[in-house]
Amino acid sequence: MDAEWPQAGSVPVRRQGASAVELDENVAVYDDVGQLLILLNSSAGSVWKLCDGSTTVDEIVEALGEAFPDQAPVIGDDVYETLRKLADMGLVAEAPGAPGAPGAPA
Amino acid sequence: MPHAHDRAHCTPNLNALSYRFAVCCDDESMGAHVNSVLAGLRDHSAEGEGGADHSAEGEGARAPHRYSLTASPGRDGALDLARDGELVEPGLGPADAVGWLVWDVNRLAAEQSGQHLLFHAGGLEADGTGVLVPGASGSGKSTLTAGLARAGLGYLSDELVALELDGAVPGRLLPYPKAITLKPGSFAVLAEMGPDPLGEGRGGEWQVPVGDGTGRRVGEPCAPGFVIAPRYDGAAETALTSLSETEAFFTLALHAVNLLSHGASGSAALGRLAADCECYALTFSDLDEACALVLGLVDARVEPGSRRRGTG
Repeated sequence: MDAEWPQAGSVPVRRQGASAVELDENVAVYDDVGQLLILLNSSAGSVWKLCDGSTTVDEIVEALGEAFPDQAPVIGDDVYETLRKLADMGLVAEAPGAPGAPGAPA
Repeated sequence: MPHAHDRAHCTPNLNALSYRFAVCCDDESMGAHVNSVLAGLRDHSAEGEGGADHSAEGEGARAPHRYSLTASPGRDGALDLARDGELVEPGLGPADAVGWLVWDVNRLAAEQSGQHLLFHAGGLEADGTGVLVPGASGSGKSTLTAGLARAGLGYLSDELVALELDGAVPGRLLPYPKAITLKPGSFAVLAEMGPDPLGEGRGGEWQVPVGDGTGRRVGEPCAPGFVIAPRYDGAAETALTSLSETEAFFTLALHAVNLLSHGASGSAALGRLAADCECYALTFSDLDEACALVLGLVDARVEPGSRRRGTG
């Protein structure tokens, strides 16, 4: 994936085959390719849940800013960092057909 | 070459979860001992229609796998363990031979019961409620399980507990009531369960029979109600600590033998277990205190006194 990913207009989507179990405020993600269980803390879990293939990164930041107003100043950076980590683990990618997806018109 | 079962003392058909087998010995007293050690695994499915088949022809006759314990040629008093005609281990002392047999059955029970989610765990049943005791070797899992069986809970297993799965929905815990394998560190606190009449076998262990006439009843399939993750620490105070859902989930995942083969449905079932059961870590140095803590939890949920119902 592009090193600059994600951008404000990127549309992240959870990879098919990665499934989540909600636990307390955390999320355990089972990755059937790497055959790993990955624990996401509550903030990473919140980002994960919004990677639905139709919500842009800007919209994720906005939604989480509204949900956690006291943390709004740092949420933007957290969301970008979390998405980069999830992408590095192969758990999210740009949604097919989204502007930043491979093969999408420039 | 004559087969052991041509002149053999055979067990009835035995079920280790989905692994079905029988054992034949050429020595009568060894046959009786093996029969006693594996009594908890007897297949009772045929007993409703004409009773159990203990005839010479019927014993072990329908089991798809057959072990033999026969005199080792040229080695006085030693035994060869074979499975389906293939040598598993030659030249064993009697106690070692039983230890090897139990080990091999454990291995194949896990291998052939993959439709269930399997835990490296002890398991007990109290009035239809299951207690899952996941733990690594040396955690005190078998000791705690044996102590709770001694206190009247139904014994499911000290090694491998199967959770039925219907998709991602956890069903019942299923019994695999093998003999309880006790290590030397537990002998003093569970002295009445020994000594093993054959002496200390593979790894210095006792194989402790369960079922009718032993004072340790076999539990029924049951809905999981508790997860108790033990850790023996001789220097620690005995204490129960509640586990969060996340802690319980990863504790269960760590001891799930075949989680990866069940993938998403397996992890979802773990999540349901972690959410629906009361989950605790139990650090213990004193077995009686540890059992009292667990029994207190169980008694708070099941009808008082009912957990000892049916003590054998």
